[in-house]
Amino acid sequence: MKNILKIPQSLFFRDKNRLSNCQFLLLALCTLLGSCNDFVDVDIPKSQLTAQAVFEDAATANAAMSGVYTKMRNSGILAGDATGISCYLGLYADEFDYYQQNAVSNFYNNSLFAADLGVNDIWNQSYNQIYSANSIIEGLNKSNSIPEPDKKQPLGEAIFIRALLHFYLLNLYGDIPYITTTDYLQNSRVSRLSADQVYQNIVKDLDQSIALLSENYTSTDRIRPNRGTAQALLARVYLYMKLYPEASNAASAVINNPLYVGESDLNKIFLKTSKTTIWQFMPSAAGANTSEGSLYIFTAGPPAIVALKPEFINAFEANDQRKTHWTTEVTNDGATWYYASKYKQESSTPTSVEYSILFRLSEQYLIRAEARAYQGDLIGAKEDLNIIRNTAGLSNTTAISAEEIIRDVLNQRRFEFFTEFGQRFFDLKRTGKLNETLTISKPGWNATDSLWPIPVLELNANPNLKPQNQGY
Amino acid sequence: MNNFSFYKDGKDLYCLFFIWLCLSFSSLFAKSSNGHNAIFFQQHQIQGTITDGNNPLPGVTIAVKSKLNSSTISDYSGQYTLFTSPTDTLIVSFIGFKTALVPIKDRTKIEIQLLYDTTTLQEVRVNAGYYSVKESERTGSIAKISAKDIEKQPVTNVLATMQGRMAGVDIIQDSGIPGGGFQIKIRGTNSLREEGNQPLYIIDGVPYSSDIIGYSNTTTGIPTPTSPLNNINPSDIESVEVLKDADATAIYGSRGANGVVLITTKKGASGKTRVTVTASSGFGQVTKMMNLMDTPQYLQMRRQGFVNDGITSYPATDYDINGTWDQNRYTDWQKELLGGTSVMTNLQTSLSGGSDLTQYLLSGTYHTETTVLPGDFGYDKGAVHFNMNHASEDRKFKLTFSTGYTFQNNKQAATDLTRTARNLAPNAPALYNPDGSLNFENSTFQNPLAALRAVTTAKTNDLVANSVISYEFRPNWELKVNLGFTDLKNTEQRLLPSTMYDPAFKIGSSRSSMYSNLTSRQSWIIEPQLRWNHEFESSKLDVLIGATAQQQNSSRLYQYGRGFTSNSLITDIASATTKSIFVSDQTIYKYQAFFGRINYNWDEKYILNLTARRDGSSRFGPGKQFAVFAAAGAAWLFSKENFLKENSFLSFGKLRASYGSTGSDQIGDYQYLDTYVSSGQSYNGIIGMDPTRLYNPDFSWEINKKLEVAIETGFLRDRIFFTAAWYQNRSSNQLVGIPLPGTTGFSSINANLDATVQNSGFEFTLRTVNFNAGAFKWSTNFNISLAKNKLISFPGLEGSTYSNNYVIGRSTNIVKVYQYNGINPQTGLYEVEDVNKDGQITSLEDKKTIADLTPKYFGGLENQLQYKNWQLDFLFQFVKQQNYNYTSNVPGGSPINQPSQMTNAWTQAGDNGSFQINTSGQNSDAVNAYYNYIDSNSGIVDASYVRLKNIALSYDLPLSTIKGVRCRISLQGQNLLTFTPYKGGDPEFRYTGYLPPLKVCTAGIQVTF
Repeated sequence: MKNILKIPQSLFFRDKNRLSNCQFLLLALCTLLGSCNDFVDVDIPKSQLTAQAVFEDAATANAAMSGVYTKMRNSGILAGDATGISCYLGLYADEFDYYQQNAVSNFYNNSLFAADLGVNDIWNQSYNQIYSANSIIEGLNKSNSIPEPDKKQPLGEAIFIRALLHFYLLNLYGDIPYITTTDYLQNSRVSRLSADQVYQNIVKDLDQSIALLSENYTSTDRIRPNRGTAQALLARVYLYMKLYPEASNAASAVINNPLYVGESDLNKIFLKTSKTTIWQFMPSAAGANTSEGSLYIFTAGPPAIVALKPEFINAFEANDQRKTHWTTEVTNDGATWYYASKYKQESSTPTSVEYSILFRLSEQYLIRAEARAYQGDLIGAKEDLNIIRNTAGLSNTTAISAEEIIRDVLNQRRFEFFTEFGQRFFDLKRTGKLNETLTISKPGWNATDSLWPIPVLELNANPNLKPQNQGY
Repeated sequence: MNNFSFYKDGKDLYCLFFIWLCLSFSSLFAKSSNGHNAIFFQQHQIQGTITDGNNPLPGVTIAVKSKLNSSTISDYSGQYTLFTSPTDTLIVSFIGFKTALVPIKDRTKIEIQLLYDTTTLQEVRVNAGYYSVKESERTGSIAKISAKDIEKQPVTNVLATMQGRMAGVDIIQDSGIPGGGFQIKIRGTNSLREEGNQPLYIIDGVPYSSDIIGYSNTTTGIPTPTSPLNNINPSDIESVEVLKDADATAIYGSRGANGVVLITTKKGASGKTRVTVTASSGFGQVTKMMNLMDTPQYLQMRRQGFVNDGITSYPATDYDINGTWDQNRYTDWQKELLGGTSVMTNLQTSLSGGSDLTQYLLSGTYHTETTVLPGDFGYDKGAVHFNMNHASEDRKFKLTFSTGYTFQNNKQAATDLTRTARNLAPNAPALYNPDGSLNFENSTFQNPLAALRAVTTAKTNDLVANSVISYEFRPNWELKVNLGFTDLKNTEQRLLPSTMYDPAFKIGSSRSSMYSNLTSRQSWIIEPQLRWNHEFESSKLDVLIGATAQQQNSSRLYQYGRGFTSNSLITDIASATTKSIFVSDQTIYKYQAFFGRINYNWDEKYILNLTARRDGSSRFGPGKQFAVFAAAGAAWLFSKENFLKENSFLSFGKLRASYGSTGSDQIGDYQYLDTYVSSGQSYNGIIGMDPTRLYNPDFSWEINKKLEVAIETGFLRDRIFFTAAWYQNRSSNQLVGIPLPGTTGFSSINANLDATVQNSGFEFTLRTVNFNAGAFKWSTNFNISLAKNKLISFPGLEGSTYSNNYVIGRSTNIVKVYQYNGINPQTGLYEVEDVNKDGQITSLEDKKTIADLTPKYFGGLENQLQYKNWQLDFLFQFVKQQNYNYTSNVPGGSPINQPSQMTNAWTQAGDNGSFQINTSGQNSDAVNAYYNYIDSNSGIVDASYVRLKNIALSYDLPLSTIKGVRCRISLQGQNLLTFTPYKGGDPEFRYTGYLPPLKVCTAGIQVTF
C-alpha cells in the first residue's frame, strides 16, 4: 500500500512543467468533492406555502377557508353530484330509481358492505374536510399576526363546518369519534362516542360558532355561513335530539331574522338570489350552475343515472304545486320518467343563476311546526305548517291533534326536501319509521341497513373503532 | 470546506468553469503529443475475408506481428485490407474465437477462417457503471443482455426485451395497449411501499428517472400513468446490464437498493462506411379470451336470479330480460371488441464508420402500431441516435458523445374495453344501426363504441445527451468527467366530446370536456472522476474516486376545460368556456455524492473489490440528508490454482462473495415539509388552499444490506458453463407512508418503519454449447430464480395499521383472506370460516388464511440453432405463481355476463352446484356472501404459465456475387404460445380487467452494404 501514498507526491514534484496543471486538477476535484453540503438544500416549492405562513396573513387564511368550501362542494357528503349523499341516500331510501347501465348500485339495492367505495369515500372525505377545519382553527389560534377581531369570522366558520360534518357522519354511520385536533397520533387511536356525546360536542361547537360568526353575510349571495346558518343547523340538531323547546327557539331566531324572507313563487326558491336561502355553495366557475342540475335533469328517456320513483310522484297530494314546479315529466316511446327540477339548469348559463342550497328557510318553519306540536302549541304549529302548505298551493292543514299535525309535517318534509341531502332518509330514521316504510318499497331492505358500515379499512387501521355496525 | 461552497445560484457558472477546465487541458495535451505512430513503410497490400466457416465476421482485429500498433479491423462483410511486409505474420483475434497466427508468405489475398473458442467469453468486459470489468474477474452479480438478444424481439419497450432472459429479474407487462407500462423487480420487493421498488436506470452514465410522467386522469386507457421508460428505443441499445448485489450496486449508494439497470447505447465502429436498413412489419392479437356465457345460459342465470329473489315482474330497467332487447340475439363481445388485429411496422436505418481514432454512428428508427380495439387508434415512435468517439493520436485524450432523441405520439381509447367486453350481456343489441350510425337502442343500450370516442393522446419528446471526456495525464492516471443532460416533455390530453353520449340526451359540445397534463423534466449531472491503476509484479491495483452533482427540475400543469363551441376545438383549452388548473407544481431534486472504488487483483486469482459512496439528497429534511453506503466483494479463481490448472474437465472456476449496504430515497420531493398548496379551485373568486399532508420532518433513508455468495464454473473448455448464486438482502428502516385511519384526515404519513424485509433466493444459469461442428451449431441458455420474501421483524405489528396486511415470518406479498368452506346446501350461499366464532364475518378477525402472491420461481430457456445461413432462436419463459382469479364485480344473476362455468349455480336445497344462488342484486345476504367469496382463498388460483416468449428465425441470403452486401430475412414472434391452468384470461397481469400482452408476429428484412 505504500505505493499508493507515493504516487500523489510524485505528481506534485517530479515534473515541473506539468506540476501546476496537475495540482490544479486535483484541487478542482477536491473542491468539488469537499464542497457544499448545502447543495442539497432546496427551497420550498414555488407553488406551496408553509402552514405557518398561511396563517400569518388574513388573505391566505381566507384562501384556506375557501379550500374547505371547494372540497365540500366537490366531494364528500355535500357534493351535489352522484358521489354525494343527495344521490346516495335518494337511492338508499325511496326517492330514486337507478338507471346506469352495466353498473350496480349497492346503495340502490341496499346491499352495502364494509369495503364499499362510496361508503369509504364519504367517510374519508368528511374527515379530511374536518382536518382542514381543525387545521384552520389551530392555525388561527396560534397566529400572532392576524388581529383577534379578524379571526372571529373564519374561526366561527371552521367550527361550524366541524359540527356540520360530524352531524351527518353521526346520522350515517352511528356512533363516531369527534375530531377536534390535527394531531394524527391522537386521531389514529380515537374511539367512537355515543350519539349523545357527539350531539353534545356538536351543540358546544355550534354555540361557540354562533358567538363568533357575524350577523350579516361576509359575502354576497350567502355563500359563506353566518350566525343564522349556525342557528339553522342548531335548530335541526335540537330537533334530532328531541329537545323541542330549544329547537323551537333556534328556529325562531332564524325565522325572525329579517335577512330571510319567504318566497311565494316556487320557481324562484332555488335561484341564487332567493331570500329564503340561508347558505349555499357557489359553483366552481363563472356561469356554472349546480351539480344537482346536471345529475338530475335529462331531456330524453331512459334516464342516464337516476330518476324519481313513480311511487314518489304518485304520492303528491292533488294540487301540490311542487309536483308541477319541482318535478318534470319526460316521455319516450310510451314510457314516462320524472326528474327533480328544483334546479332548472342542467349546464352553464352566461352568468350563474342557481347555486347549490344547503339550508333553506322552509326547513326552519317545519322544524318549528314539529317542535311546537310536540310542546302542545298546536296553533303555532299549524301556522308554521300552513306557511309551507300554502306556498305549495295547498289549503290549510286539516290536522287537529298533535299527532296528526306531526304526521302532516313529516309528509310536507318529504315533498319539500326531496333530493336534498338525504332529508327523507334522516326523517324516517329519526322518527323510527325507516323499517316500516322501506321494507315495503325496497326489496333489499333489512332492519340493520339504518346504519352504513364503518369502512373496513378504518376498523383494520384503528381497532378502537370496533365493533362494526350490526349487519355488516 | 464550506468556504468553497457554491450556492444554488452560482452552480451553473461553476459547472461551466469545470467543463472549460477539462476541455482546456485536453486541447493542451492533445497538442503536445507527438505523432509516434506516423506512416510507416508500406510495401505489400493484403486483402481477404474473415469468416467463422459460414458467415463473414465483422469487427475482427488483424494485427501484424512485428509492428503491433499497426492493425486494422474487418468491415461488415468480413473484409480487410492491410499494408505490411510480405514475410510478416498476421495476428487475427476476435472475442469468442481462438486467435489465429497466419504467416503472410508473399500472398496478397488471404482468406481466414476463425475457430470458435468458448472460453474467451470470459474475456468480455462487462459494464459496471463507473468502471468496467472483465467477465472472469467480476466480483459482483451482473446480468446482461446484448443487442443480439434485443434484435430478435418485436417489442418497443426495453423492459420487454429483458423478460425471461435474466436471472433474478422479474418483469410483468401491465397492458397490451401500446404505451402501457411494465413492472420490474430485481430480486424481489424490498420496500413495503409498492412504488418504492423501482431500480435506478442509467443511460450511458446519465441517471434516467423512471417516475411517471402521465397523470391518472389523462392516462386512463392503461392501468398505470405513462412511464418515461417507453422513450428508450430498444434498437439503439448495445447492451443492458442489471447490477444486483452489494458489490455492484453500493457505488450507486442511496439509489442502488432495488438494483441498477445500466443501458449502453450503440457505438460507431471504425472501417468502411456501413449502411444498414431494417424493415419489418407484422400483427398482434389478444393471447387468450375468457369463456363466458352465451345468451341462453346468461338469460337462464338472470331469470333464476329474479326467481330466487321472489321477484315476479322484471324491473323496467332490466332491458336484457324484460323484453326490451331481443332475447335470441348473441354477440361474442370479446371477439367483437377485442378481437381485432394490431398492425405494426418498424423501419430503421443506420450509418456508421470512421477511422481508427474517430468513429461515428447515426441511426433513425420509426415504429408505428395500431391496437386490437375497434377504431382509429395508433402509436408512433421515432428515434434518432447519434454517437461519436474520438481519441487523440496518442490515445491519451478520449471523447465520447452520445445523444438520443425520441418522440412518441400515442392516441388511444380513454377506456380499456376489456372489462366491458366481459361484462356486456350477450344479447345486448347491435353496435350499428342499418344506416351506419351507432345504435343506442332507444337509449337502453350504452354502446361501448361510444366510449371509444373519448380518447387520450400523449405526445412525448425526450432527449438524453451525454459526453465522457477523459485524459490520461500521466501514465496510469486518468481524469474523466461524465456530463449528462436529459430533457423530457410529455403532453397528455383526455378528450371527452359530447359525441360519446347517446344523441337522444341532446348533449352538445357545451358539455364536452378535456383534461390536459403537461409534464416536463430536465436534469443534469456532472461526475468528475480520477482513476489510477498500477501493476505490481504479480498483482494489480485499480483505484477510482469521483463525485456527483445532480439536479432534476420537474414541473407539471394539470388542467381541465369544459364547454366548447364545437367539438373540433376540444384539444384547445383556450376554447373552453370553463377552465380550471388543478395542479401546477415545480419541484427540484438535488443530489450529491462522493464515491470510490479500490480493486486489488492478485495474480488474476484473488480479487478484492471495495466500493463506497457518501450521498446527500434533497428529499430529506435538515439533518437527515447524508448517509454512507459501502460494500466489499471478493473472488477466488480456483481454477487457476496449480492443482486445477491443467484440468481437462474443469476449464473455469470462480467463487465470489459480497456484502454491503445500499439505500433508497424514493419518497418523492418535499415530503418533509408541512405545507398548504393551491387547490386550483376557486370559491368566490379566491383560489382555495389545502393542507398537503400530515407531516413528519424526521424520516430518512431506507437501508438495504445485501449478501451474496456465488460460484461460476466452466467445463470442457467452457462448453458447459454453470453459475449458482445465493443472496440475502435485508431492507430495513423502511421508508413508507404508514397507513392511517381516515379519522386523521389523510390515509398515510411518511415515516421510517422499524421493520425488516428479507429477500433471499437462488439463481442458476446454465449455458451449454450442445453442438458446434461444421455447419450446424446449437447452444442453450437456461436461467431460473427461486425467490423468497419474508418479513423478518416488525416491532408492534399487531397494534399497527399493518396488522391485517403482514405476518412476521411470511412474505410481504401475502394477502389475508377468508377460508372458503363451500356452499351451504340449504341456503345456497357461499360460506367462509367464522374464525373467532362470533357469528359475524368481519375482515379483521376472520381473514386468517394466508395466500402468498410472490412467484415461487421463474426463468427462461433459450435455444439458439444455426445451420449454414439459417438461424433459429426460441425462448420459453416460465413463472410459478398464484394470482387473483378473474371475478366480476357483482354476483351471478346481475345484469353482467359471467364465466360460462357459472351456469352450474345452486338453485334449490340439496343442490351441489359449484356457484352460489343467483340474485338480481336484491338479496343482500347473497351479495355479501359473494364479496366474502371473492375475498377468500377461492379467489386466488394457480396463475403459473409457460410461454413461448420469443421465437426468431432468420436466413442470410447467399449474396456472394454482390460484394459487400448482406441481406437477412427474418420472422419473429412474441408470446405465440401460452400454457397455463389459469382460466381468467391471460395469466400475465397486475391489474385485472385490462388488455393483456398481445401475441405478435412480424416479418422483416435487413440489408447491409
